[in-house]
Parts: sequence; structure tokens; C-alpha cells
Amino acid sequence: MKSVGRILSYSAILAICFLFGFSWQDIQQGKAPSTHAIGALFGVRSGSAATPEEEFQHAYYEILTDYVKPVDKADLKYAGMEGLMASLGDPHTMFMRPKLAEAFNDETRANFGGVGARLGTDPMGAKVVVVFEEGPAYAAGIRAGNIVTAVEGKSVAGRDIDTIVPLIKGKEGTVVHLLVIQAGKEKPVPIAVKRARIIAPTVDTKYLAESQIGYMSIASFSEPTAQQFDHELKKLEAHPLKGLVIDLRENPGGLLETAVDMLSRFFENKLVVKMKFRDHPDESATTYPGVLHDFNYPIAVLMNEDSASAAEIFAGCLHDYGRAKLVGTHSYGKASVQNVFPLIDKSSAKITIAKYFLPVTPFFGRKADPYGAYVSGGLEPDLKVELSTSSDVVFGDPKTDNQLQAAIHLLNPPTPVVAKRQ
Amino acid sequence: MSYTKKSIVSATGVISAIVVVIGGMMARQEADLGLVHPTTSGTSIDRLLASRSDDVNVPAGDYFYELSQKLKKEYVEAVSDDQKLAVGAIRGMVSSLQDPQSLFMDKAQFQAFLNAREGKFEGIGADFDLVIGTKGIQAEAAGEAPPSDATAEEALVMIRDIPRLQVVSVVPGGPADKAKVQVGDTVYSIDGHWVVNSDLIKKFRAAQKSFIAKKTPLSELNILRNEIRSKAEHALMPLKAKDLLFMGKSGAVTVVWDHAGGQRTTKIVKAASAMPGFEANGSRILLPFTPASAGLLKQAIARKSAVTIDLRNNTLGDLSSMRQCLEVLVPKGQYGGFTTFRHDSPTPLVVHNGNSSPPKITLITDKSTRGVAEMFAMAASSKGYATLSGSETGGDRDNRAIVKLPDGSGYTLVTSVYRPILGGQKLVKKGGAK
Repeated sequence: MKSVGRILSYSAILAICFLFGFSWQDIQQGKAPSTHAIGALFGVRSGSAATPEEEFQHAYYEILTDYVKPVDKADLKYAGMEGLMASLGDPHTMFMRPKLAEAFNDETRANFGGVGARLGTDPMGAKVVVVFEEGPAYAAGIRAGNIVTAVEGKSVAGRDIDTIVPLIKGKEGTVVHLLVIQAGKEKPVPIAVKRARIIAPTVDTKYLAESQIGYMSIASFSEPTAQQFDHELKKLEAHPLKGLVIDLRENPGGLLETAVDMLSRFFENKLVVKMKFRDHPDESATTYPGVLHDFNYPIAVLMNEDSASAAEIFAGCLHDYGRAKLVGTHSYGKASVQNVFPLIDKSSAKITIAKYFLPVTPFFGRKADPYGAYVSGGLEPDLKVELSTSSDVVFGDPKTDNQLQAAIHLLNPPTPVVAKRQ
Repeated sequence: MSYTKKSIVSATGVISAIVVVIGGMMARQEADLGLVHPTTSGTSIDRLLASRSDDVNVPAGDYFYELSQKLKKEYVEAVSDDQKLAVGAIRGMVSSLQDPQSLFMDKAQFQAFLNAREGKFEGIGADFDLVIGTKGIQAEAAGEAPPSDATAEEALVMIRDIPRLQVVSVVPGGPADKAKVQVGDTVYSIDGHWVVNSDLIKKFRAAQKSFIAKKTPLSELNILRNEIRSKAEHALMPLKAKDLLFMGKSGAVTVVWDHAGGQRTTKIVKAASAMPGFEANGSRILLPFTPASAGLLKQAIARKSAVTIDLRNNTLGDLSSMRQCLEVLVPKGQYGGFTTFRHDSPTPLVVHNGNSSPPKITLITDKSTRGVAEMFAMAASSKGYATLSGSETGGDRDNRAIVKLPDGSGYTLVTSVYRPILGGQKLVKKGGAK
């Protein structure tokens, strides 16, 4: 019995010696013995490390050294940074790799030029919907109804409009070569257009005589938009009006001041948005007195998932103060302000620094899942109408645009057929 | 006890203590190498992979730290959960591999995965794999990028070739089995939500080309375009679809399956189900690869001259358990090994002691024999110790590391691919043993 006890205690001493040796480098550095290292001794594989930073590094090196295929070091690092920023669940807070950051920079600095035309969907390419008379496309002979079927010698037939436009846009002063189908010409005509800085008219109106409805489409909220709004409104009000449809579909927003300016036509001294920051006091924007306009007819606002930012603030305020009904599908949900922080390696971090709050509507910021897909957010329409999937829809055309039709019916319901009394 | 004897004993004691201390220090070095110490190996890797000279090289760890700090300082809401940032970054890195076998899983997904490895299934009681057409790992490595002019809908499915969600095993008697779901079925839709895959897009691309060549009428192209649009609106990504079928113990799902020769609609009520564990019935053995299997296998083959091992519905086995089973079953020797697409030498699969008088072994395999079960079948048959009966195996011989993160989430990482014969021939991933 005595010898068994001795063997046991001796083994215990040996085990302690082993652990002492095992942990020697920790003891030398004045640290507690590493449990991860002891875990590894017993075959437990664990990605854990003392700090989140080490946890990240550990995974980074593991993928770099152990993955079955070679992995580009910089790509992996950037993918990690994208994931880091995406983990907040805010689609506007994002990491931009050097290339993307550069493109973003170009775009915001607005040294991008165009040809001065608005394009629409067409199976043969892109249909010219509007040509601005001051623009280079007009000067080169392009007219509304023409179809751009090739750009720089490459066919664009069958392609989505969103992918054609970037091909046509480019640096101001450069030339783009288009192949254009024009009525009455047997073959598509090659036309070269010099890109220029385009100051696009942002407000466009049409009087729909049949329903006595004014249709006003606002493409964006830029500097001259409020003035153009007044000017175009005057034109519409020259006709008898049973209602006004303001089309904000595809309107990506723009300047908050412009939206405030235009809302001041509707109500005075009212809150438009409150901006909440993290570390400094709230800021708010209110309408100002003196430019009130008498809208003595009902108003409907058309919107879709591409209506964002200032467009949502404009629509949301009209809705919150009971001045308009929203028609269409939910808007984008851009209820925040971002700042872009350049980083040392020419990447940048775009970070949401403030949130917008409307007077009544609760916070409408877009939420996305980790795959980037829409989860919730945006303004909800009062009347939900999906755009017809038929490919011949022309925005603003009461014959084919079913969302516009719904808005017209809302403002001016067709008179019910009542049996005539004699 | 004499004086000399006493001193010899104590000297031995002291010497062995010193030896053990040194042994401990060496074991620690080994352990640390295995852990890949972030800071030390970091610098050496930096030097090894020193990339293009023109970029500013900020080490990943510093980058992570700086960016976390920036977010904490600037983001509109307080960011206090550093752990979440780290896990997000890891998710980003694992996803960037675009490898259906290397997957990041959140806490609930990871737990369901670990449970299934122990045979405890939930959901509809089936295991799934993401199958990328007929493309192997090499075609992927060649990096076929989607065309840069892809539309939004196309981008959704062409960022890479979106895999299809395919049944690779079915728990006998489980909900899927009762609904007659079969191995090889792929998921077309769940509760009316189309599961995204690239097939439709490819069809559209083809129609587009043929339209430009004036062979397809516009109306046909538009029908396809609208089909994609309406489907994409409420589509499910394959991984999300997998969650719906793999997780949860209650509720019903209506699943439309693409089945050999047509579509089938099933309504399945989710419930817990269990894959049968080790079973020995006479000379017939059911062999899941879990830590207990080798011991049970040893008992089951004792004094038997011939055994039949059923390796069907065996997809989630554990590599070290499989190796122990090989030790029990076949003589010592080298049985192929693990290779990578990196410039390193393969790691042989070695049976150290082995069974010097193996029984005659028959292995029953089919498409549901995958992962380590497939490696086992190929290893055992490569030297003629086992004959394969049944049909072709599933074609998945990826060796995956399973890493658990402190918050309960985790990921798998393919570290190598098993090959029954190590030689100069090219590595082919798909297509199993026959």
C-alpha cells in the first residue's frame, strides 16, 4: 500500500514538473499559463484567443496557412475588414477597398460627364426618353425615341439599362461613340458625342387633361430644383387641377436644404428632420416662413425602392403632416448621414455618423441581413402598388404606368355610374 | 534500504524531474507551433508572402485594431461588442473563399452542425451539400469571374456560380425519409420561395445571345426576364434555405424538390430525429465515425473471418475516429494521403500498428457515402483489403478543420483533399469511388 502511495505522489510531482516546464515561457513573462496552449496539447482545436484582435488574427493566419488553396494576403485582409464593417448590420457603413474608394471619390467629386439625355429600358439597348436641348447629345442629332444599340462598338441589346448608363458616362471632355437607331433610317447611325458636365433639369411636368391631374416628376434634389419646382407648378396650375402627382420614383435624393426649401411651400415653421449624433447635440431642420403656396387640391407622391435620402424626407414630411398620400412600393430607407474616412493604403471607411428622424414616422432606416439583402426599412406607402412587370411601362404615361394610374384614381376616383333620375 | 540504493533512487528522481520539465518546455513549443502564434508567425508570413511592392502594407491585426477604433469613435451608435466585430471579420474572410465546404456558421447554425455530427438531427432530418454544377475545385481556382456587365438580378446569382442545395443523406425514419425525400434531390423552392441558382440565369444568357443573333423572338426573352425578376423578388439564398430545412424541431415546410425526372412537392413537419449509431448485427456493421466507434468495431470483428460494413448515409464523420477505425481494420502501411493546391508536399495517411490478420471486408457505399466515410472506403479498398459493393460514393473527400469561436459561432475550413494514391496524377475533386 505504502509503495503505491509513493508511486502516485511521485507521478503527481512529475506531472507538476511537466506543467512547470510547459508553462515556463508564460512564467518568465509573468503571465498565467496559457490555457489555449494546454488545450492544444490535448488536441482541442479552438479559434479563441485572449482579445478579439487576436481572435481575428488567429483566423487570418489560419486561413492563410491552412486553407487548401493559396489565398491572396491583401484580399483576405480586405474581406475581413468588409466583414468587420458589415457586422453592424448597417448597409451604409462599409469598408471600401482602394479601387472602390477611388471610384467613389471620382463620383462624389462629380468630374463625371454625360451626353445630356435620360435613357429608358428597351430590348434593343437603351431608349432615349428625354434629350436636354442644351446638352451635347441634342447637338449631335440625338432625339427622344432614338435607341442606343451599341456603345464603343459593343452591342448593348438585351442588357439592363443600369449597366448601359455607366458605359455612356465618363470623364468630361472625352468622346463616346454610339450606334443609334433612328426612325426612318435603314441602318443604325454611328454618332460621336463629346461628354460634358450636364446640369440636368430636375423637374418635369405634364398635364393629364383626361383626368385633370398634374403630373410632376422630380429626378433629384439639387440646387436649382426648388426654383424649377415653382416654375413648373405655375405651368400646371394654369389648367384646372383635380390633383397633383409628384413622382419621386428613382429619385436618389440630393441636398437636404432643397427638400426643406420645397417643403416650406407646404407648411411654415414645422420640423422636417431631427439629426441624432452620438456625441454631440441633436440638430434639426425646420421649414421657414414666407413662401407658403396654396395647394387647393389633393396630392399623391409616387415612390419605389430607389427613392432615397432627401426624396424620402420630402415624401415623409408631406405624409406626416397629412399633405399627401404615398403610392407605390416601400422606399429605400436611407435615414442616415455618412462620412468617408480615407485610410493609409488608399482604402476608406464609410461610416454612418448621424440618423434622420421624421416628425411622426418612426425611424425608417434600412436593415439588411449579412448577405446584404433587404430586411426592413423605408417609408411604407399608403397605397401599395407594384409596378407592372410588362416591359413596355413608360414612367409618367397614364396608359402604361400602373402606379401612376393608381395615384390618379386615388386623387380623382372615376365617378360611379349612377342610374339617371328622370 | 541501503544508502547507495537510496541515493540512486533520489538521483533518478531528480534527473527524471528535470527531463520532464524540459519535455514540458518542448511540448509547449510544439503546441504553440500548432496554434500559429499570431505575432511571431505573422512577421515570418509577411516576409514569405511579401507582395507587390507598391502597396502600403498594414498588417492585418493592426488594420483590424485601427478600424475597430475608428468605428467606436465615429459610428452613430455605441459600439461596445468587440467580439462581434472580430466574428464579423472572420465571417467576411471565410465567405471570401467562396467555397461551399468552408462555411461560417452563427451560434445556432454551428450547434446544429455539431449535433448532426453526433447523429442528432433536427429540421427535416437530412444532411445537405452545396453543389456547384459539375465544376470541380480546380475550375473554381482558375477564377471564372462573372461578366462585368451583369445586371442586378444576374449579379445576385453570378457573383459566383451559385450552388444548388442537394440532399446528401437522409435520417432513416426521420421526417424527410417519411416524405420519401431521396439522396440527390435538390431544393427548388421552400414555402413558395425560389432557391436561387445560376441555371435560370444561364438560360437567360443563352436566350440573350440567341436574341442578338436574331434567332429568339423578343417575347421569349422578356418572358425569361420577367420570370427572373419575379422569382428574384422573394428568393432564398441556398444557405438560408439550408437553415430552414436543417434547423428547428417544429413547424411545417412545403418543399418543392427537383428530382430525377421531374418536380415533387412535399409538406414536411420538422422534428428531432437520430441517425443510427454503431450497430453490429452478425457480420453486418453500421459504422458512423464517432469517437466510440473504433472500440466497438474491434469487438465486433473479433474472431470473424468476414464482415460487411454499411457506409451509407455517412456524411459527417470525424477524421480521427475514422483513422482509429482503419487501425482496427487494416494492416499497417500508407493509405494514400492528403494533398493541397499549395506548393507543399502531401501528408500521408498512415496506419501505424494496424490489424495484421484483417477479416475479409465488404463495404457498402452509395452517393450518401461522403467525407471521411468516402476516404475510409477508398483507403481500405486501395490496397485490396476491402471490396466495394453498392454504388459510386458522393465525391466529397475534403478534409475540413472545424473551428469554434468564443461566442459559440464557428466555421469549417477545407485544409486538404484526400487521395487514395499519392503520385504525379492530377487532383480531381468530383466523382467518387466505384
